[in-house]
Amino acid sequence: MQLDLDRMRDKIKASQWALADIDWDAPGRELVTNDPDLYPKLKAFMADLMWIEHVGARGFAAMAKKAPNDTLREIYTYFHAEEQRHANAEMALMQRWGMLDGEGLPEPNINIRLVVEWLDAYADDMPLSVLGSVIPMLEIALDGALCKFLLETVKDPICHAAFEKINADEARHLGVDFHVLEMLGHSPVYRQTLQMAGKLIDPRLLIGILAYLPLLNRMRDNLVELGLKEERLYEAIRKYRRVGGTPGGLRNPWFQLISRHGGWMVNRRNRLYHVPVDALVRLTGKIPPRLLPQIPSWVHELTWKPTA
Amino acid sequence: MSTTTQARRNTRPQDSSVLHTYETLIVGAGFAGLGSAIRLRQAGIRDIVILERGNAVGGTWRDNQYPGAACDIPSNLYSYSFAQNPDWSRAYSGSREILSYVEGLVRQYELAPLIRFGQDVIELSFDKASRRWLAKTAVGQTYGARTVVMAQGPLSNASFPDMPGIGSYEGHKIHSARWDHGYDFAGKRVAVIGTGASAIQIIPELVKQAGFVKVFQRTPGWVLPRPDYGTPNWMRALFRRAPAAQSALRQALYTAHESMATGLIWRTPASRLLEQVASLHLHSQVPDAWMRRQLTPDYRIGCKRVLVSNDYYPALRQPNAKLITWPIATLSPRGIRTVEGVEHQADCIVFATGFDVSKTGTPFPIHGLGGRLLSEDWRHGAQAYRSVSVAGYPNLFFTFGPNSGPGHNSALVYMESQIDYIVQGVRLVIEQDLKWLDVHEGAQQRYNAAIQRRLAGTNWNSGCKSWYLTEDGFNSSMYPGFATQYRLQMRRLPRGDYSLVR
Repeated sequence: MQLDLDRMRDKIKASQWALADIDWDAPGRELVTNDPDLYPKLKAFMADLMWIEHVGARGFAAMAKKAPNDTLREIYTYFHAEEQRHANAEMALMQRWGMLDGEGLPEPNINIRLVVEWLDAYADDMPLSVLGSVIPMLEIALDGALCKFLLETVKDPICHAAFEKINADEARHLGVDFHVLEMLGHSPVYRQTLQMAGKLIDPRLLIGILAYLPLLNRMRDNLVELGLKEERLYEAIRKYRRVGGTPGGLRNPWFQLISRHGGWMVNRRNRLYHVPVDALVRLTGKIPPRLLPQIPSWVHELTWKPTA
Repeated sequence: MSTTTQARRNTRPQDSSVLHTYETLIVGAGFAGLGSAIRLRQAGIRDIVILERGNAVGGTWRDNQYPGAACDIPSNLYSYSFAQNPDWSRAYSGSREILSYVEGLVRQYELAPLIRFGQDVIELSFDKASRRWLAKTAVGQTYGARTVVMAQGPLSNASFPDMPGIGSYEGHKIHSARWDHGYDFAGKRVAVIGTGASAIQIIPELVKQAGFVKVFQRTPGWVLPRPDYGTPNWMRALFRRAPAAQSALRQALYTAHESMATGLIWRTPASRLLEQVASLHLHSQVPDAWMRRQLTPDYRIGCKRVLVSNDYYPALRQPNAKLITWPIATLSPRGIRTVEGVEHQADCIVFATGFDVSKTGTPFPIHGLGGRLLSEDWRHGAQAYRSVSVAGYPNLFFTFGPNSGPGHNSALVYMESQIDYIVQGVRLVIEQDLKWLDVHEGAQQRYNAAIQRRLAGTNWNSGCKSWYLTEDGFNSSMYPGFATQYRLQMRRLPRGDYSLVR
């Protein structure tokens, strides 16, 4: 997928919106709050969704530092802020539905915490090839599976209004993501493979993988709990393969690895993968929170308030 | 248009034939214009007129009186060597004190009679027949002069930036270069857009006065500590009694700044060292890792203007201050909307967004020989010979012309050598009664080819966007070398490179 990045940047700038554009007090909240069956599950789902957007935002912040040109750097700087906007808007929905305790942030689960710690410590040291291949996978899962599912499940018109804007942003993100995925595959395959092999023995990346895998499994469990069909996730992985499978994408070994991994992840029957990863989920669940370092200050930038 | 103006316009060409023709006309009564007048008079040029668009002298230092305004170069170096001031109150004086110094020059050298206030030049053209320049001003007057010194200043024009929604904002707007001294900041929510040289001086003062200050940053700058101190009384007494001691200090400061060039202009181990000093400065003042990341530039030191401050970082950490690095989506009636979706409401927005630096055009139309237009010649970037003369525009001399900017030393050092060069040119025209003195096109081209070759290896051209460069990345602002190199090239006007037409 080839894009004119300059035009894309201008389009991004011309398509801005703010939390204040949405009337968060409009009628319709009872469609969620009066559904005792849905409410607790949706609360957990929204918290996961919001955190994953926030984690994605931090990923874009790291990518902005690696961008090969000014235009892409500027686009990633916008994407960083836009993912934050999505997290803020999702928090505003939670606030609307009375899901935030007081004014604070929803409690992140331990796997989110670990990924946040990893991002804070190492994301800026990761090459564009790693981040640029993982991010489209996460975004396509968000866009293709989670958000669609949410809109089918929740009838609140304000939720639909917010996600209409979020999805329009995500469509632009995906366009750029896959453009970069293609671009990353353009150097000789042997060199890319060697570089990947070198990176895969980098302990910083290994720690990242160890934080990332249980997060995905835990989230998938939460989603299935809420009623998401696993087929939806398969579709998302297939889409990642299809859209990313351009000549350049196919030559990108990170794309190959991640799309393969996506297949393992969504296939519940793959015991070789899931037994150890589920064990990791349980193991990380045992980490006492007091052992974790203080939450990095960028997390406190999250807000559900349209004005400040 | 009123009939009187119409009439005046129609009659102007006839008027110009009976105009008094000054030996030299100077555009602007700031540092450069006044310095030129002083040196020209000392060289025997007496018939001078200075056209000033404002109602007071001082130029940039008259206009930039925002709270905290000061110079980034020590005052003992940011002053004329021929008019040293033993009484600077601090190492780095504030803009009021610098302005008083400029006003002091006017008194000391009795320049007031030369200055015509309220004369905003709108057009300058060379009249070949009467071999003089004609300067038209906005109030409809025309001045004639054999030679012209352009001293309108590189940082003299400022305007609100062209940001989306700026017209919709209903709060109070202030531009740093046109400060509103009547506005009371107490208890107000203030937004500052920009984190350049002006902003980092304003912000600490605003944080002291305002209720809450939000600082909107696009690109962070490298910030070096400022070795500032109040001048002790004994030092002033010494300088008054022994001016040589002050000259020695000036020389020492000059040498210290020259040595910075090795790190600021070119990529050398010294650049790394300066970056480490700046990083240490940041680490010592900002404990939070994310905030340090926000404040750490991702370009080489020197590529953009280097900032100097001890109180900027601490101000950002005050409980009533916040640094915001989200891109600005638009201004709204009540404040600033950033891309993370939040509307940051503000009672007042301070635009510390810099100046309209002209790198391709000219401040007003300048017509040279054969009616050629300078902004046409400079369409792809301004060029001059030794930053002072432009081929086809005889008897016209620029201060702060193309490629005359320093990144590491006092602008006044450069200015002084430009002025002394200009004095040679003006004397040549007047004393030898030349029709005109015009630099050879070839000499100008050779000079610029060399300048651009040398610029290619500098930090300014290393990939960042800055106001030194045009949209296309052409550097017509900076001089790629030491101040000493610049001064050497300006010591003598090489007649061989000029046509002297009698």
